[in-house]
Amino acid sequence: MAPSRREERTPHWILHTFLAATVIYTVYPVLWVLTIAFSGKQSLAIADLPADPTKLDRFRAVLPWPTRFAFGNFSSVMADQPFARWMLNSAIVAIGATIVGVALSCTAAYAFSRFKFPGRRFGMMSFLVSQMFPGTLTLIPLYIIIVQWLGLGSTLSGLVIVYATTSIPFSVWMLKGYFDTIPKELEEAAVMEGAGPGKIFWSIVLPLAKPAIAITALFSFMTGWNEFIQAATFMDKEEMYTAPVGLRFFVGGFQQQWGYFAAGSIIVSIPVVLLFLYLQKYLVSGLTAGSVKG
Amino acid sequence: MSPAGPPASRVRFGIGLLFGLLVALAGGWALLLGARTQLEDDWTTRRAIVAVNALGSLVGQATDDAGVRKLVSAWQGTHPPGTRVRVIRGTTLEASTDPADTGAKAAPRRLAREEKPLYDQAQRLRAGVDSNREGGAPKAEIEVERQGGARQVAAPLEADGKVTGMVRLLVPAEPSTGGRSPVQAVLLLVFALVLYAVAAWLLPPRTALLATVSTALFCLAAAFFVGGELRALGLAERDGQRALASTVAAEVGRARALTGASAIDGGAWDTDLARKPHGLVTGAGAIDREKGEAQAQRVRRGALRSLLTLAALGLLALVVVGFGGAHRVGRALVTNRQAYAYIAPAIMGTTLLVFFPFLYGIALSFTDSNIYNTNLPLTELWVGLRNYATILGDFSFLRRAADGHWVFNYLNFYWTFLFTVIWTITNVVWGVSFGLLLALVLNTKGLALRPIYRVLLILPWAMPNYITALIWKGMFHRQFGVVNQVLAIFGFEPLSWFDTPFTSYLTALATNGWLSFPFMMVVSLGALQSIPADLYEAARVDGASRWQQFRAITLPSLKPALVPAVILSVVWTFNMFNIIYLVTAGEPGGSTEILITQAYKYAFQRYQYGYAAAYATIIFGILLVYGTIQNRVTRATEAL
Repeated sequence: MAPSRREERTPHWILHTFLAATVIYTVYPVLWVLTIAFSGKQSLAIADLPADPTKLDRFRAVLPWPTRFAFGNFSSVMADQPFARWMLNSAIVAIGATIVGVALSCTAAYAFSRFKFPGRRFGMMSFLVSQMFPGTLTLIPLYIIIVQWLGLGSTLSGLVIVYATTSIPFSVWMLKGYFDTIPKELEEAAVMEGAGPGKIFWSIVLPLAKPAIAITALFSFMTGWNEFIQAATFMDKEEMYTAPVGLRFFVGGFQQQWGYFAAGSIIVSIPVVLLFLYLQKYLVSGLTAGSVKG
Repeated sequence: MSPAGPPASRVRFGIGLLFGLLVALAGGWALLLGARTQLEDDWTTRRAIVAVNALGSLVGQATDDAGVRKLVSAWQGTHPPGTRVRVIRGTTLEASTDPADTGAKAAPRRLAREEKPLYDQAQRLRAGVDSNREGGAPKAEIEVERQGGARQVAAPLEADGKVTGMVRLLVPAEPSTGGRSPVQAVLLLVFALVLYAVAAWLLPPRTALLATVSTALFCLAAAFFVGGELRALGLAERDGQRALASTVAAEVGRARALTGASAIDGGAWDTDLARKPHGLVTGAGAIDREKGEAQAQRVRRGALRSLLTLAALGLLALVVVGFGGAHRVGRALVTNRQAYAYIAPAIMGTTLLVFFPFLYGIALSFTDSNIYNTNLPLTELWVGLRNYATILGDFSFLRRAADGHWVFNYLNFYWTFLFTVIWTITNVVWGVSFGLLLALVLNTKGLALRPIYRVLLILPWAMPNYITALIWKGMFHRQFGVVNQVLAIFGFEPLSWFDTPFTSYLTALATNGWLSFPFMMVVSLGALQSIPADLYEAARVDGASRWQQFRAITLPSLKPALVPAVILSVVWTFNMFNIIYLVTAGEPGGSTEILITQAYKYAFQRYQYGYAAAYATIIFGILLVYGTIQNRVTRATEAL
């Protein structure tokens, strides 16, 4: 069956309709949380329904636009709750873990990519397998190591160490895949000019691997910024909570402070969403370079 | 690698023997030193408990306050000088032999404000007694504080079956019986090495021969060492039992002298912290021979297990060093020192905080570890494969509910596994197909607003997923959630989403579907953009239809990027803790629990750490099998 030329192009308006519908699906929950946050109330209803609601009333209750704007939730969360402190903790932990984790992963991935040495395959395989470790299995031993052996319970450095090391296997795989795609000829040329391995790594390989490093750093940061089970386990003192642990406070258990939760969620999401959108240009090249070239 | 020449292997097996023996003997010696200290410590505590129980029963029999004071001071007189007794009833210090409680502070008096901890302690003990009478998990009725070698013990006072107060006793430290000298171990080590040197000098330098000789010497030395140490440990245990028995006998004697009663059961004073008698000592203060022997046996067996493990490690060291393994490792380290220097920090970090916890977790899965016995070493909680047998051998799919009806048993492992598989497949299929579809649409040449669509469609990935989960949980709220409002607009009844397994599953699917497709979209988009346009050009010239182009060009080009992404997302979804835990929380009745959340609940809501670890290990096994199969299949299809 020979297709005609005309069938080959779907009209753009169909594509736009499809994309617009999808965008509504992806954006609606975000608008919903914004609405709750700006409503100034703790309820999770957008609008109060009258006793006998009409279709219009019901539509109003679905439309993500607050009945009146109020900033009360934001100011209360930042001022009355120790939320600013929790945000600071999260920032320190996430940035610290990112720096430590990416630094260690870069050097290790470079070695795995460029040197042949006994244990190389075994190392990469065990890093891959470690991605299958269920977190629950390691939580109790980690607690014993961090809190009882190292005495780092309720400290930010304890969380930094945990997040940095647990992100290493994934980061090494991503970075190694990318390093593999950087042509060796560049380094060979540098060797001819008398550059040492340290200099080659620092001034040739690292700058070329910027997309992969940016993405690795982004994922490490997101892990540190968003993780809440380990943080909830290791942090006993309320002033040492991270933002996710604190946020869960508002709607977990018997508390139903949806307004605080929504406002807090937005404050917490803004940095990571902005960072993500800023770095998304690297997403494709950073993520797929290694795997496409095989 | 260079062939290990005979002269070199002489030295190597010698060094191997030295290392092996160091591991086995020095390690064993240090281990036993710890075990003996622990043993001595336990016996001291147990003797202190005998004393406080004896005192408690005497004070409990006293008829009035003055009687109590007389008894306490008489009791003090028969004990070593450092002994201190305090009797507390309610907020009153009724009697005391503490030098601090003299003059203005002499008993009887009210407790001072800063002595509130004493009052609290008495309340705790009473609560412990009450709770133990009602049954349930045993609580402490006796509290012991270590103060160096001394023991501060507190026990409840009872009269007519009711707790009326507390008696606190400070038992002064006794001189330690001392550790065991390392002379024997050192002599064995030197002796074995000298014998080896002589043998290696006399015998022809053949590797097999040297290996046999050094192994035999190692085993001989280890056997001597283990035998001697176990005997000594058994004797120490026997000494401890004797000391306990003599304490009981002495207390019985004193009690007879103080009260004039003749029928006193001293054996009932030797109790654990919940005041259950151990039954090791008879009423008059003699050791029950059978039980004593059984206990000594237990102590020896525990030590034997550890010592044999160490000996096995030592033998391993001997073999590795002897056959040149260590030499080769050392050479590899030197030749590739640069590579190892680069990976060393990452390897050390992950070894400590990724791989070690993993292995520890697996070890935990063979034990009966739970919240009541976390202070015991894992070897004492060993139950072998029992946890696995319980989990995998549970085929009770139905159980009887409280009202007598048969209901489906959602806590069954196989149900949870089935649900996890359904959950993973539906999510990944949705993620891949929707993500790929969007990528194809976004890859259309000349489509307007492409960057804006891309940013908006990536948004779910950028949102922290625990926030996403809680948002969706809010949107599925029965009364106020927007989903039910939308249903109402179309004239449907509001649904209680978390009341039936299927609707509950849908909420989790909606949430995870929302946040998981952008990953696939980005990956597919990247791969699509790397397909050269002239391929399609050529296909069109050949008259291929769009579907044929998709099958012949697009899919094969996507495969290298999509396969790893699919594997990753299967693993992620399989262990997608946050969504299930926060959205459905397993409702209703644990039916929408996936394996990882179920394991978490066993660990942190039911506190069965060993059982939860076995559960998690099974999850790991499943994923490992999946990964291996997937890897094989992928390779096989690539080979075609």
